[in-house]
Amino acid sequence: MIDAAHSHMTSRPRLLPLDRVVPRLTLFLFIGALGYLTVVPLVRLQVLALEHGGRAYSDAFSAPGIWKTVATTVELALGSLAIALVFGTGLAWAATTLSPRLRLLRIIPILPIVVPAVASVLGWTFLFSPHPGYLNQLLRHLPWWSHQYNGPVDIYSIPWIVIILGLALTAFIYLFVSAGLENISGELLEAAEVSGSSPVGVFFRVTLPLLRPALVYGTGVGLLLGLGQFTGPLLLGRAHNINVLTTQMFFATQQIPPQYNVAAALGSPLLLFGLAVLVLNRFLLGDHARFVTHGGKSFRSGARSSRVGAAAIVTYGIVATALPIIGLVLVAVSKFWTGSLHPSQFTLINFHTIFNDAGIQKGIRTSLVTSVIAIAIALPAGYVAASFLRRRTHRIARPILDFVVAMPLSIPAVIFGVGFLLTYTTRPFVLYGTKWVFVLVYVTLMIPFSTRMQLSGMVALGDTYAEASRVSGGGVLRTNFTILAPLMRATFGGAVALMFILLANEFAASLLVRSPTTQVMGTALYDYFGNGLYPQVACVALVMIGVTGAGVLLAIAVGGSDIFNKL
Amino acid sequence: MSVRIRGLTKRFTGKSSVVAIDNLDLEIEPGEFLVLLGPSGCGKTTTLRCIAGLETAEEGEIAFGDRTLFDAARRINVPPNKRNLGMVFQSYALWPHMTVRKNIGYPLRTRRIRGSEADQMIEEVATLVDTSNLLDRYPSQLSGGQQQRVALSRGLVAHPDLVLFDEPLSNLDARLRDLVRSEIHSLHARLGFTAVYVTHDQVEALALGDRLAIMRAGKLEQLATPEQIFEEPATDYVAGFIGMGNRLTVERHDSGWTHEGELVNGLAFDTRSATLSIRSRAEDVQLASPDEPAPPETINFKATVVDSEFGGRHMDVTVTIGGTRIMSRIPAGPRGSWARTLNAGQSVLASMHRHNVKAFDEVGQLIGATDRVLAN
Repeated sequence: MIDAAHSHMTSRPRLLPLDRVVPRLTLFLFIGALGYLTVVPLVRLQVLALEHGGRAYSDAFSAPGIWKTVATTVELALGSLAIALVFGTGLAWAATTLSPRLRLLRIIPILPIVVPAVASVLGWTFLFSPHPGYLNQLLRHLPWWSHQYNGPVDIYSIPWIVIILGLALTAFIYLFVSAGLENISGELLEAAEVSGSSPVGVFFRVTLPLLRPALVYGTGVGLLLGLGQFTGPLLLGRAHNINVLTTQMFFATQQIPPQYNVAAALGSPLLLFGLAVLVLNRFLLGDHARFVTHGGKSFRSGARSSRVGAAAIVTYGIVATALPIIGLVLVAVSKFWTGSLHPSQFTLINFHTIFNDAGIQKGIRTSLVTSVIAIAIALPAGYVAASFLRRRTHRIARPILDFVVAMPLSIPAVIFGVGFLLTYTTRPFVLYGTKWVFVLVYVTLMIPFSTRMQLSGMVALGDTYAEASRVSGGGVLRTNFTILAPLMRATFGGAVALMFILLANEFAASLLVRSPTTQVMGTALYDYFGNGLYPQVACVALVMIGVTGAGVLLAIAVGGSDIFNKL
Repeated sequence: MSVRIRGLTKRFTGKSSVVAIDNLDLEIEPGEFLVLLGPSGCGKTTTLRCIAGLETAEEGEIAFGDRTLFDAARRINVPPNKRNLGMVFQSYALWPHMTVRKNIGYPLRTRRIRGSEADQMIEEVATLVDTSNLLDRYPSQLSGGQQQRVALSRGLVAHPDLVLFDEPLSNLDARLRDLVRSEIHSLHARLGFTAVYVTHDQVEALALGDRLAIMRAGKLEQLATPEQIFEEPATDYVAGFIGMGNRLTVERHDSGWTHEGELVNGLAFDTRSATLSIRSRAEDVQLASPDEPAPPETINFKATVVDSEFGGRHMDVTVTIGGTRIMSRIPAGPRGSWARTLNAGQSVLASMHRHNVKAFDEVGQLIGATDRVLAN
């Protein structure tokens, strides 16, 4: 055979040591950079909290009312988690009974994730504030509440805060359980049925045990999210002085001078719990293969397609998503929020006001610019991280990377906010007051999502396309750019859209790192709220929802309607 | 290009460590078509992937000609893209976002062969492998057989030093499998490339290989030409793998050899082993009425029919002796013949010509040549 190609392949009997060193160096620099972003702020917080013999800890946990705060934190978390587990699992099951025509309804339970938390909490306030809330006024027309001046619902009380948080958490549980259900092969259920089990028997003997990992994971994440809740307690808890650890952390940083050490000490229980969940999750579900039930047909519940399921999903959608948005719209088109509606006086003047407000304009611009830059960094970083995590090599570096990448997901954004505030107001990188601090926070918060989505994209793609390229003579760069990247276009699109949604919504960490001159949409809204300019607040909230909605549509257009299952 | 593998060892570490390749030595001659044959988990695919550079072994050396590609001791490990290979995958692995022409041309682009030279090489290989009319289509528009022919073109286009085949026919249906197999065979005959071919299918292995390497638990069990392996399987394991599915273990007694107390006639071995296993193919097991005298030069025993299946020209009859199932394929004969009337529970005399029986000692090694089996 004529060896035409061989002249192009210069024979190299020995590899330069450089060829071995460079990839490793790159890997360690990469892990170092990610580690700097995620770990350093947390370490600096702890160092500060432990200074002077851990005085910050004794200060924080001897303050009056601190144990009540801790108790409230746990109460809110467990209460809302209980609601979310019941509704989330129920809705996920209901979604499997939808007839093919109604499959799009499956997105509805996810909407509370993509509606900015600040916006929906404000919407609830407008509906259920004790005196002027629209729905409260409506309810007071009913005979048994007609004598009351306030109520019957007090949105600022603990039970109602729990319900609001529970409705929001439901979306997350729904997501995890749906993904779990989707991974169960329909044939397993059919096998149980033809073996003589009733649909209920199948559910309890086969479906539920196979769902265990999804439920364990969902409960863990739900508990984390519940404990780390910030927006709801901050906006709703002020009226009756209901505090949780995250809000107390925020208030500590607002002192003059800021008490970062106390904030750090207050955050430690959440930090420890987050790390524990991270480690336990690895430990309990380490062997994912045991739960891989793929193969054959996709999941179908034994139940016939039913209207009850569709009705449940629509009801949840109306209550958890539509109602608060209606509240926002009503206030946004009113001159004042008085509680009484005057349709004849509806006006768009408030939108006019906010769009001409330099602060708001700048906030929207900053939100968009910082989000785009952060995504432009987080996407390739996530790609590189996913590529390393995909391989079985690097026995030491890989678990470290895995940990660093997963961390921002299991630690409340408020803690990162405080950590970033501390880290970037002091040397060596003083970035406070610039938009770069937002970019860094956003990159950190997005790394887990970016990595996970691209990792699942790579897993779905398999190894052979890349291997075929390597044995065909393609180097690492060529293989990634000409083979893998084009094949992962949809994954990239989905990841970009998802990150955009999450960043446009970001409130907790943003509120901590914002400065009077550099705001994003959510923090600008918070200032309006503090000044009592409710109609304008409602308008900004609607703008946030609009921006996010555009992101959602883009995400679904690019990545398909199951894009959120990859979270 | 010759390929030399020395002392190759590869372990997979995980919850339980598995030795996939165990101190393997293998030499492949220039232009040779070597088939790695074995059941799943025997290390054949891992060996292929180590040659490709897609896996890294812990110990050993791999060299193409005088060019060392891998040497664990000297820490040499040339990446796959610098090994000048072609490879054909089980799943075809055609890149779905590229046309067939681009897929086939990819190995040329990576070798910086461009323009008319590249076009000519693509056309040449496309003509050879009969993919010329597919060049401007996308892989998703092709059938499985066409896809595998494109993959074959891609593997050959750059005239690589070595072409690797990883069970390339396993995803094709039976008819296409025969077709593509014979294409690979004639392409090798015409082009004379050096190839390593992994399969678990003995038919493919016998048809394609200049030599077969039968692997077991990461080691070579036998390395020989297809004919040698077929005629003289070195071990019980090899015999079982190349179609000698009937296995009887027999014990030496004063009165002769028995299986579970049942007498097996015609056996005598030049061995001290107290127990043997004897192997045969279903086609070589003849059945007769128990009243008939045993045919000469055979190993024979009384057995009971368990099941009989009609196969057109032949009958597949399952018989048992002492609880062990023996498969027999006998001519069906005309309508109403004795073979067609066999029923479960019927007694028969099963016999196998001595030349067609291989015997193995306690550790599974072939005992002499069967010519030395003496009449009892």
